[in-house]
Amino acid sequence: MLQFSKFVAIRAALAILTLVLVSFIVFTLMELVPGDCAERYVAFKNSQGSVITPEDIQIERIRLGLDQPYVQRWGSWIVNAFQGNFGDSCILRVNIAQLLGQKFYLSLGLCLSALLLAYAIAIPIGILAATSRNAVLNNSLRLVSYLGLALPNFLLALMIMLFSTVMFGDSLTGLFSKEFRDAAWDYDKFMDFLGHAWLPVFILGWSATAFAIQTVRALMSDEIGKLYVTAAEARGVSGRRLLMRYPARHALSPIINSLGFDLNRIFNELPIVALILTLTEAGSLLIEALARSNDQQLAGAIIFMLTGSIVAINFVTDIILALTDPRIRRSIVG
Amino acid sequence: MTDTSNTDASVDQKLKEAYFTASQGQLIWQRFKKNKSALVGAWILMFLILSGIFAPFLTPYDATIAGRDKDYLNGAPEVPRFWDENGFSARPFIYTAERTRSIKTNFRWVTELKTDLEDRRYVTFFSKGQEFKFLGMKFERHLFGVDKDMIHIFGTDSTGKDIYSRTLSAIKTSMAVGTIGVFIAFVMALIIGGIAGYYGGWIDSVLQMITDTVRTIPSIPLFMALAAFVPDVWSAEMRFFFISIVLGFIGWPTLARRIRTHLLTERNQEYVLAAQLCGASSSHVIRRHLLPSFTSYIIVDLVISFPYMVLSETALSFIGLGLKDPVNSLGVMLQNVTSADVLLNYQWYFIPVIFFIVLVLAFVFVGDGLRDAADPYSDASK
Repeated sequence: MLQFSKFVAIRAALAILTLVLVSFIVFTLMELVPGDCAERYVAFKNSQGSVITPEDIQIERIRLGLDQPYVQRWGSWIVNAFQGNFGDSCILRVNIAQLLGQKFYLSLGLCLSALLLAYAIAIPIGILAATSRNAVLNNSLRLVSYLGLALPNFLLALMIMLFSTVMFGDSLTGLFSKEFRDAAWDYDKFMDFLGHAWLPVFILGWSATAFAIQTVRALMSDEIGKLYVTAAEARGVSGRRLLMRYPARHALSPIINSLGFDLNRIFNELPIVALILTLTEAGSLLIEALARSNDQQLAGAIIFMLTGSIVAINFVTDIILALTDPRIRRSIVG
Repeated sequence: MTDTSNTDASVDQKLKEAYFTASQGQLIWQRFKKNKSALVGAWILMFLILSGIFAPFLTPYDATIAGRDKDYLNGAPEVPRFWDENGFSARPFIYTAERTRSIKTNFRWVTELKTDLEDRRYVTFFSKGQEFKFLGMKFERHLFGVDKDMIHIFGTDSTGKDIYSRTLSAIKTSMAVGTIGVFIAFVMALIIGGIAGYYGGWIDSVLQMITDTVRTIPSIPLFMALAAFVPDVWSAEMRFFFISIVLGFIGWPTLARRIRTHLLTERNQEYVLAAQLCGASSSHVIRRHLLPSFTSYIIVDLVISFPYMVLSETALSFIGLGLKDPVNSLGVMLQNVTSADVLLNYQWYFIPVIFFIVLVLAFVFVGDGLRDAADPYSDASK
């Protein structure tokens, strides 16, 4: 037990260190964007018709604390970020936590469901592909997983959307019907959400599934050839019981280990899919912030939160692995 | 009788000798040739790359606005034919299209094909056309053209640019972006992974920490953040180089990790120890012993990471943060298909999409085949 808590503590410290490094990278990026928040605000005011002088910019800078040295601002940003406070958006002048809030959890929910879908499909199919000697099945699965890469999600989303617009007159876009958009969460809104969310989940899960099938198949074929499987077979275990109790258990632990990176890959696709399907969540907000309004505060907060959830997943999977596999527990601490 | 068996044995001996003295590259090629799907992929890839390089000659018109056909906007593909009701022609020909608007068409612009004999446009080969530069020399011969007006075998887009010309030049641009990106990623990975792997210890731990952190940040959002720096005033060429560099800067961690792991295992091998005992310097050991031991793996890794570069470029250009007109890249071409109008009326906009999918698929097949071929144990396990 002591060993285990030591393991958890070390992992947690490493996760926090990673987050600090990430925050440094993200913060530096935000600083590198030409122009700062004060200028952007003033430019916005200018476009609204009020006359602004250079002194006003200076006052705004001081108000936002932009006159302080770089390291100090980074320090306060990261301290606030860990408390879930990202300051105000440059353009929208709203607190970012408030602006993002629900939208970020929507995105996270979509991505996690896509991940779940991917493995729910990939684990049985991957095991089947690894055990079967059927060349046609194997080759067609290989082609499908290659297509998962070559037919990027945004193209797939586009095709499905255009097709349904033309065929059914419904573009399948958005996350909520009009009457639920601003309503509070209740059963009806939730059902409405599910009715819209299956398409983004499917599209986000598409290439993830293709990758996952490849991984599961490769891991399973490695394990199946090993001697302990033959030994178990010789003792008379066979069929599904053999697969589940011996090779599958071993093949799955590297998969748990890589869940964080799978989530990373899904996050990659999120902004673009969100743009096409006009989802009102964090991915489209990120594109909005980067491509249109140049809102560095908002963009930095979103990237940091996305990375933060990956780090969190990595931490959780590490703990799960350590719980199930005593070797891992010992190796990292010792 | 004995003669033949002797020669057989000597042939056998020679084969064996050839096998044992073969270089790494020759062995990989031997194994690669056996993989049919990878070989087909390699041919397709070669064909696409060559057609990208020789695009100015293979395509009849300039891919930018300079090559537009102002009389044929959003025009359908014109497929050359050999016969119609007016008779057979040994030379392939297309019809002249004319845009008309009248009470009959409800006052909308409609393209009408004139199918009369005198309206045929005959396809000519090695015909003179717009001047283009290739390798610093000026040429004006194109592979094909028509005797009057213009031919568009993949149709034209909304500004009248020839989609066939644009597609081939887009392949060239996307490959160039990918090549620069892969090269930068490779150099960074070699330096960082090399230092981490060769020195080990705390240097390795620190560099690993940084590499893992960069790997944790989702790359497309990071790309987007970097690409958002590009000021609007930059020229298309500056943009092009900047995007390639950004792609390279984000692609290095995976490669660096592989190089480090390989170096960590190789540097404890006995041949390295032997070289060090003979008094070889660090740089000599790295250059003469360690690098040759895994060049083939690095090449394979580069091929595998190539389609990801092309895909990232496409994704960036697609959301408008990457390359923009007048540069033609596959991402720019894909951006053009994003409206229902295209699906309903101008389906030929999708032709570049097919090229894109085929290009990425070919790369993946070749990369996979190379990876299997570079693994010396792949035969043994089967």
